[in-house]
Amino acid sequence: MINQKIIFRILGFLLYIEALMLLFCSAFGFYYHEDDNVAFTVAGGISILVGGLFSYLGRKAEKRFSRRDGYIIVSTSWIVFSLVGMLPYIISGYIPSVTDAFFETMSGFTTTGASILNNIESLPHGLLFWRSMTQWIGGLGIIFFTIAVLPIFGANGVQLFAAEATGPKHDKVHPRIEVTAKWIWSIYLGLTVVQTFLLSQGGMGWFDSVCHSLTTTATGGYSTRQASIAAYNSPYIEYVTILFMFLSGINFTLLFFLLFKGRVHKLLKDTEFRWYAGIVLSFTLVIAAVLAVQRGGDLEGSFREALFQVVSVQTTTGFMSADYTLWPPVLWFLISLLMYAGACAGSTSGAFKCIRIAMLFKLVRNEFLRIVHPNAIIPLRISGQVIHSKAKITLLAFFALYVGVVIGGWGVMVALGLDMTDAYGVVVSSIGNIGPALGTYGPAYSWAHMPDAAKWFSSFLMLIGRLELFSVLLLFTPGFWKKQ
Amino acid sequence: MKIIIAGAGEVGTHLATLLSKEKQSIILMDEDEDKLNKLDGYFDLMTVHASPSSIASLKEVGVQDADLFIAVTPDESRNMTACMIAHNLGAHKTVARIDNYEYLLPKHQEFWKKLGIDSLIFPEMLAAKEIVDAVKMSWIRQWWEVRDGALVLIGVKLRAGAEILNIPFFELGGPDIPYHVVAIKRGHETIIPRGSDCIHENDIVYFMTKKEDIPYIRKIAGKEKYADVHRVMIMGGGRIAVRAANIIPSDMKLTIIESNRHQCNRLTELVDNKVMVINGDGRDLSLLVEEGLETTDAFVALTENSETNILACLTAKRMGVSKTVAKIENLDYIDMAEGLDIGTIINKKIIAASHIYQMMLDADVSNVKCLTLANADVAEFTVKEKAPVTRKAVKDLGLPKGVALGGLIRDGEGMLITGNTKIQAGDHVVVFCMGLMIKKIEKFF
Repeated sequence: MINQKIIFRILGFLLYIEALMLLFCSAFGFYYHEDDNVAFTVAGGISILVGGLFSYLGRKAEKRFSRRDGYIIVSTSWIVFSLVGMLPYIISGYIPSVTDAFFETMSGFTTTGASILNNIESLPHGLLFWRSMTQWIGGLGIIFFTIAVLPIFGANGVQLFAAEATGPKHDKVHPRIEVTAKWIWSIYLGLTVVQTFLLSQGGMGWFDSVCHSLTTTATGGYSTRQASIAAYNSPYIEYVTILFMFLSGINFTLLFFLLFKGRVHKLLKDTEFRWYAGIVLSFTLVIAAVLAVQRGGDLEGSFREALFQVVSVQTTTGFMSADYTLWPPVLWFLISLLMYAGACAGSTSGAFKCIRIAMLFKLVRNEFLRIVHPNAIIPLRISGQVIHSKAKITLLAFFALYVGVVIGGWGVMVALGLDMTDAYGVVVSSIGNIGPALGTYGPAYSWAHMPDAAKWFSSFLMLIGRLELFSVLLLFTPGFWKKQ
Repeated sequence: MKIIIAGAGEVGTHLATLLSKEKQSIILMDEDEDKLNKLDGYFDLMTVHASPSSIASLKEVGVQDADLFIAVTPDESRNMTACMIAHNLGAHKTVARIDNYEYLLPKHQEFWKKLGIDSLIFPEMLAAKEIVDAVKMSWIRQWWEVRDGALVLIGVKLRAGAEILNIPFFELGGPDIPYHVVAIKRGHETIIPRGSDCIHENDIVYFMTKKEDIPYIRKIAGKEKYADVHRVMIMGGGRIAVRAANIIPSDMKLTIIESNRHQCNRLTELVDNKVMVINGDGRDLSLLVEEGLETTDAFVALTENSETNILACLTAKRMGVSKTVAKIENLDYIDMAEGLDIGTIINKKIIAASHIYQMMLDADVSNVKCLTLANADVAEFTVKEKAPVTRKAVKDLGLPKGVALGGLIRDGEGMLITGNTKIQAGDHVVVFCMGLMIKKIEKFF
């Protein structure tokens, strides 16, 4: 049955890795002579202690694990990471409430980017960096990160990767998962470094550039400023951020083929990429047109504002250069539609993903065709490949579950005391790992005024959204725990 | 090492999973997506849904820098086509699975090489060889010759009454004994024995010895009353049966029982007159008795159904047949069948995979065999000039655990290895190792 020892053993290992990250952040406290280095050292120590305890509980573990174990490992590793990751906030006293600290950390790891902080600038550098770092690690996934840096899972890594990766299909760039992980992470790291350089050339300080790059490539959305990107008031910085949000929304496998094999064709012919680019373009044009008309002609400004917000919401980043809740209400609707979309599978973005939208659209179109030609065999093609019926069923089930969770979550949020619009926005934004929502949870506000219970529920939604529903919800099915 | 395997059938799948555990870069191609889906997400390999004989898809998977291309689809001509394309696109080495004995003849080897097929593999032929070896020496479970028989490795199950039971090895006699026990299989465990270990009843013991000392082993193993085999009965007239019928020694009388009449007619064309072909169900006991099961010395079950094979062998055993051989394709059944005392077990997948595995290793390893019963490999290494293994006596080498050096062949002469033996360059050394450790000990040679 469930191999508890191996689960403990692996969680123990993961905690050692997190301890290293925490201790790394304490360096900022020393460098800037701030008071958070103690918090990080203590948190790192606790992480090592708990890791040691877990390793002890998992000593002499059998080295193989079943599918069930794999799913438990993936879900619990995200929770354990968040539980330990919230310690610096609490110990340093900058976020004294456990609820708030957990929310902030989970929002970080799941790359949601919703914050309960009302005065981000008051945080010391170490904590600001830790916020950004949680998003960067969570962007491609905790397990995937571990696969790239340490070979502790062995051949079992594939199973864990499958449970954590997003999208209906998992492409590899190399037969071995370890090498695949290394390549993907180098692309990720490369994007981050290039963006840091470009941002710093635009008048942003080095520290801010690094933090913003970490959260842009992760499509996370934590900023070091309360007003997000708008604080810099620089078109250059906005365009650079738009570019990197867009790039991070592309399937990293495609980026690999583009960057290392020069296959531009593969990217341009990819169904998902076309849908992604198409959605960005069409939404931007409509919104830009409405804004331009409303403002009597500021074409560049309207275009930039529209493009930034559209890319930010669609890639589920959540940076803001303007408050979209101040736009005409019809545009709110467009933005809330975008919150469902998400960018490409295999990228760092969350939500439903363009490939599923494309598949759903084609599926529905095929049904219409079938009514006219009852005997026709109509294939569902994505990037020239025929999708078999099992994948179609999984897609429909995912769609149903996604909508179901949104509706159910909406009800829960209303019951917890949120206003109807607010509740809807918060649920869609949490599950899609976006960040800003609607109404009083829009870009201009933090989520601090949310009731405690709602914060916990929202954290839960973020996690199931990040792991694409099935991986986490599976643990709540009785069949999962039943002995065969 | 980048290895592309075309065809996700039984052999292809087995090989791919075996090699992926060894940290090789494996790409498995097949046109049937269902077969691939079963593997993707469980094993560390890349599956590609494409035709193995399409030039475009071979380019797509990067055949140009593949170290090894293995074509194991069910269709022989397709395998050959795929290998030719792969070779011309730049694959280092190609292997094709075939069904035709003619192609294997040594005089055609050059011809295949010219076409771009470096090696051919005929799993049914390899299986047939194992069966005939097993039947020839009916008291032996596994038999493996090194360098044309200069040394042999034999696996024997010891029962009560054998002379060497329960005596620690150091008491059995020092360097003078004409054999070397390289491994013991006890229950599910495989042990590489040390001086203080001893052999228990029902152990399967692997002896390394010279050919002329085999009768001595037979004596100490208490197997002298085993009759030599004169009559063999094969149940199931598939491709392995045909190959076995063609290479079986002429002094053995062979009966093949096949339930499909159409296949029986074909069999009569494929085998010679001395073989009796009987149309009937091999599970029908009265038929077997009528055809002389009681006077049969060896019963070989080769139907497509592993369960049938196991049960038929058990029945034959009960009827007094001393040697039984069963073909078992289900890997999980092998241990169980072993426990049920089915003499020799034939598994096409393991045979084919170990054959291909051998090609993968450096050219210094000339011969490797995965032992079906034990979780172990035997390999033959040729010692290079100044190899680490030549520097010290064997006992001081610090070989990793789970490795035993069985014997060596120097100038065509076989000799056993003891702790004091010093290995010289140019020797062929037979190594017995657990699991897939061959890669690790390669550096010693």
